[in-house]
Amino acid sequence: MDAFWNVFLWGYIYSTVIAIIALTVYGMATRPHLVKKLILLSILSDTANLLAVMIGMRKGFIKPPVFPGISYTNHPVANTTQLAKFADTAVDPVPQVLVVTAIVIGLAVLVFLGYVLILLYQKYGTLDVRLLEAKITGKGGKK
Amino acid sequence: MAFEPPLCYILLALFMTYALILTYKTLVARDLVKAIIYSAGQAVAYTLALVMMAAPDLVLAYVAVGVGMYTALFLFVVSRTERYEQEKIERGVEESG
Repeated sequence: MDAFWNVFLWGYIYSTVIAIIALTVYGMATRPHLVKKLILLSILSDTANLLAVMIGMRKGFIKPPVFPGISYTNHPVANTTQLAKFADTAVDPVPQVLVVTAIVIGLAVLVFLGYVLILLYQKYGTLDVRLLEAKITGKGGKK
Repeated sequence: MAFEPPLCYILLALFMTYALILTYKTLVARDLVKAIIYSAGQAVAYTLALVMMAAPDLVLAYVAVGVGMYTALFLFVVSRTERYEQEKIERGVEESG
């Protein structure tokens, strides 16, 4: 039963993450509309953040990485038994700290790209990459 | 968190399946407003997955950004530009337009 949780369930969870990354990269390569590419780029960045958090989580490590019993006025010196119990039950806090910054930077990048798309539509009147190729280069966009 | 290890892993697998289905529906939707709504549902699934992965601070940041700000930004871009994605373009567009 333990092998079932280890192999099958974790393999299934990581397979869904890899499948979502593959779907978004395929969609960004083949869909012709630029807003659809922007939506799929947001999903791709969120999936990368989720994968970083998922690497810091191991089997049996399920508590949030906050040491219990510490407040502003009450901060006793923890003994090694408490620290060992905390380290045995908490997830890794380093990917979570990195991902908080990455979420906000991804939002800023997407706002910039949305503004670029609005300017492209005001200049050329379309957001389809085939029509944009025909209008920018002056050649026919389809072969 | 209130979920013991077997239950939280099963729920994590369930939410990731939900996110995979919604990503596929985002990919194949022709109406961009439908695609944005499916993307917001996928962000809800990721939020619940972050709850299962014991990251409450990430939940507080991501539920505002993923469900609120992304959806508002994409709806603003779609309202300023065009709504429908065309499967194929008709012949003779570049001569007339």
